[in-house]
Amino acid sequence: MIRIPFMAGSLPVRLTWLCTLLTCVCVAAPAMAESKLTKTIGEVQPKIVKIYGAGGFRGLESYQSGFLISPDGHILTSYSYVLDADQVTCTLNDGRRFQAKVLGADPRTEIAVLKIEAKELPYFDLKQAAQGVEGTRTLAFSNLYGVAFGDEAASVLHGVISARSKLDARLGAYKSTYSGPVYVVDAMTNNPGAAGGALTNMRGQILGILGKELRNARNNTWLNYAVPISELTDIIEKIKSGKAVPVSASDLVGRLDRPLTLQSLGIVLVPNTLERTPPFVDAVRAGSPAAAAGLKPDDLIVFVDDRLIHSVNALKELLERTESDAQIRVTVMRGNELIEIPLEAAAPATN
Amino acid sequence: MSFIKSRLRMAILQSPIGLLAGLLAICMLFQSAAAIHAQPAEATDDLSDREERAMQVAVSAVAPSVVRIETVGGLETVEGMLVGTGPTTGLVVSADGYIVSSAFNFAQKPSQILIFLPDGTRLPAKQISIDNSRKLVLLKVDPPSPLTPPQVAPQSEMAIGQWAIAVGRTFDNGTTPNVSVGILSAVNRIWGKALQTDAKISPSNYGGPLVDIRGRVMGVLVPLSNMGGPKASALAGADWYDSGIGFAIPIEHIMKMLPKMQKTEELHSGLMGISLKGDLYAGEAIIKAVLGGSPANRAGLKAEDKIVEVDDVPVRREAELKHQLEPHYAGDTIKIVALRGKVRIETNLELIDKLVPYQHPFLGLLPLRNEPESAEGVGIRYVFPDSPAQAQQFRAGDRITSFQGKPVKQLQGLLEQLANVAVDEEVQLELKRGTDDLKIKLKTTALPEAFPAALTALAAPAATEEKTKLPTGKVTIRIPEAPNNCVAYVPADYNPAVSYGLVVWLHPPGGVKEDELIDLWKDICSERKLILLIPKSTDAAKWQRTEMEVIRKAADDVIGQYNIDRTRVVLAGQEGGGSLAFLVAFANPELVRAVIAVDAALPARTSVPFNEPLQRMAFVLTEPAVSKQSKAIEETATQLRANKHPVIRQKLGLTAKALTKDEIQDLGRWIDSLDRL
Repeated sequence: MIRIPFMAGSLPVRLTWLCTLLTCVCVAAPAMAESKLTKTIGEVQPKIVKIYGAGGFRGLESYQSGFLISPDGHILTSYSYVLDADQVTCTLNDGRRFQAKVLGADPRTEIAVLKIEAKELPYFDLKQAAQGVEGTRTLAFSNLYGVAFGDEAASVLHGVISARSKLDARLGAYKSTYSGPVYVVDAMTNNPGAAGGALTNMRGQILGILGKELRNARNNTWLNYAVPISELTDIIEKIKSGKAVPVSASDLVGRLDRPLTLQSLGIVLVPNTLERTPPFVDAVRAGSPAAAAGLKPDDLIVFVDDRLIHSVNALKELLERTESDAQIRVTVMRGNELIEIPLEAAAPATN
Repeated sequence: MSFIKSRLRMAILQSPIGLLAGLLAICMLFQSAAAIHAQPAEATDDLSDREERAMQVAVSAVAPSVVRIETVGGLETVEGMLVGTGPTTGLVVSADGYIVSSAFNFAQKPSQILIFLPDGTRLPAKQISIDNSRKLVLLKVDPPSPLTPPQVAPQSEMAIGQWAIAVGRTFDNGTTPNVSVGILSAVNRIWGKALQTDAKISPSNYGGPLVDIRGRVMGVLVPLSNMGGPKASALAGADWYDSGIGFAIPIEHIMKMLPKMQKTEELHSGLMGISLKGDLYAGEAIIKAVLGGSPANRAGLKAEDKIVEVDDVPVRREAELKHQLEPHYAGDTIKIVALRGKVRIETNLELIDKLVPYQHPFLGLLPLRNEPESAEGVGIRYVFPDSPAQAQQFRAGDRITSFQGKPVKQLQGLLEQLANVAVDEEVQLELKRGTDDLKIKLKTTALPEAFPAALTALAAPAATEEKTKLPTGKVTIRIPEAPNNCVAYVPADYNPAVSYGLVVWLHPPGGVKEDELIDLWKDICSERKLILLIPKSTDAAKWQRTEMEVIRKAADDVIGQYNIDRTRVVLAGQEGGGSLAFLVAFANPELVRAVIAVDAALPARTSVPFNEPLQRMAFVLTEPAVSKQSKAIEETATQLRANKHPVIRQKLGLTAKALTKDEIQDLGRWIDSLDRL
């Protein structure tokens, strides 16, 4: 399976994707740097683990990647259905195969720690984890597409950190339970098997763990990302020491008992007929908080606090997550002017 | 030391080149210090580090000119493609508030556009102009203080292989733009309009700049496609996002066009109204047809003229001509030099944005076929009821001897003359009826969009003694180097003295039972003189676009062996096969005269070519009473008709998808009438 962005695959796309995949080593790096790069890659590869488990049907691959985080066989990987198997097999870089025990998993950060019975293994010391910024050159190590077998080394992609951003699932931009910071990279890591792989800098220092195949719903592109190690050290330690409290994914998104409503503000919007009806104010009820604040018919609501409102639906969703007694700042477009209006719902009548 | 410092400061102040040099020099100073006081670092480390830092400096140099664009409202899908809500990116091009972005970012037609300056200032923006040729838009904001336009990299300094950094502003990462690093892969791409890079280009940075290692802007990132021609949508090429093939419109061009864009709402590609012979890379630029009323037509260019120069640049091949023409806008005046025989013709013409496609006229006649070469004029086989010809008392058996005052020798000549006549135009014909000569005027109509009600099949000419040695019945067609199996059905009474129509049937997903299909078509094939060709996809479940070539080769094989009437080559197909039939037809306009699509629509984002005077194409779209494709088929018919192709739409039974014998009877009569005049 190769990701074809919008349409079912036309040939050129497939080919170039394959080329990207096969171009393992820094293309444009001068010859002088190559030996250093080769050395770095050679040092990292022994820490990468090929993981096999459940899957293998309905387009779900039965493999993923991981990397060693202790000399005693602790492996950090992605928390996924692959681990939901009676036997999870780990193949080390030297070809040795082990049955792994799933020590624990954290659905919030979508990571899991495995343990194999081995000693004196090469590993990433998470205390020595590095940080990256936009433009930091990176190497991504993973067994994407499962091309490496046995003692074959994992695949390496080179790229840079495109952005440091947050996966804010609440905004509906990403369907992920993790909502913390990520490194977005420009190497194509959003392919089967890459999840759980290692993102390093050009010195081979660990930066993060490669994330799952995930779409950016705001522009319908596949996202290539890694979760920084600094976001994970606590939970990894907890899992390793057996202190992790399992969290169910459904606990993560809460709903408010008494959210703010347009009704309580006194705002009537234009009929919501489209998927993205622009949130124009149709009427303002007399005597309402909105009227007192000076909101007017035909105002277009473009921001609530600093959040852009794309549509009537987006506004309603945002209000559902806002407490009924919260004060909000509404920015409207009136004519060709942006006007900021503080707004507070009327206190509910007490009896 | 102080000397070095002041030199450095000067350099840094003076230019971005100096900035980089200064940076590198500082790095080297640090390195030498480190070498003395600490353990020696490996030299190679520093080159990579320095490059990395130079890239970051380049990005920060352009960052003040890169803005975030947010939109409110607008469509959820455009052309069947989901479009996101953004954000997207724009590039400041003037201090007083002009911002360039990619048209992709506005394809959803938002009701409001907002610009976020790098310092967080939010400003409403208006769309001033759209460049449909290069898929750019120009926006305008009224900034409270002057904006920062970027440094421009001269195209003359660009070298293939140099670093190219794509910059966007679409992630929630504070003040830092998002970046992707690659190299400059090519210049003058998409017929001279774009730079190409292998940096990852996507909606995450469309509209942002592609900068060099000094932070100077080389171009503005846009999705582009070299398919679909000048009318390709703003989304074309977006399916190549993040693929290693990304495009940018050169900034020098944008700056040159800026004054014009500030005054013009829409810029379009410039068109002149010629079609070429079609051999893009090998063939000379010889005009095949000139569209009536087009700039080329008004400038006096004619079919068979060979274009040898555009704006004093010599042109030897079609591709070179395309390179000269494609970058031009409507409204540009170009100088063309053409050779007509040995005569050199020099003409200036002003390009326009929209050509009106040619529509074929209809007289209401079917010509006789298989006439001896000695026959004079064109014999009439059949006069269509309620046609202009019938109103003027034409009869079967009459012979057309002259058209518009020019003698008619053979059918081909008549067709070429007819290609200069419009619908609703009065024409003059001379007829021979027995020994009488008649002069007749009639006014043409449009080609009928219905099956002929009754049309007797042509009687075969007197049987020749010569017996064909060619195989008949079910015949296997093998295409060298292609794994596909193809069979053809040739009527048992095949007569090489008679020309046969060719129907290529592209099966629906799931494959084809060839014997059942042949059984269904057999009688019609004998009656209407047709050969049925049945190519099969390698994967029975679906056709691949790459198999179009195999289909063409199979057709060529049949044409090479049997006597095929080129006016009756029909591509037919059901569901996926029908969609492919459109593509095969559009890719082979010199071969295919008609398409029959059974419960099939044009594939998404396929543009329909104009109807061509000398390459007619007629369409039948048939669909079951209930079809998932109904909307798409409706849209297909609209597009075909908009480009002046005649279309018959036919509803089949409630659930039936496959054709019945009765329906094939209708199609047989229609195919038998495709050489209509």
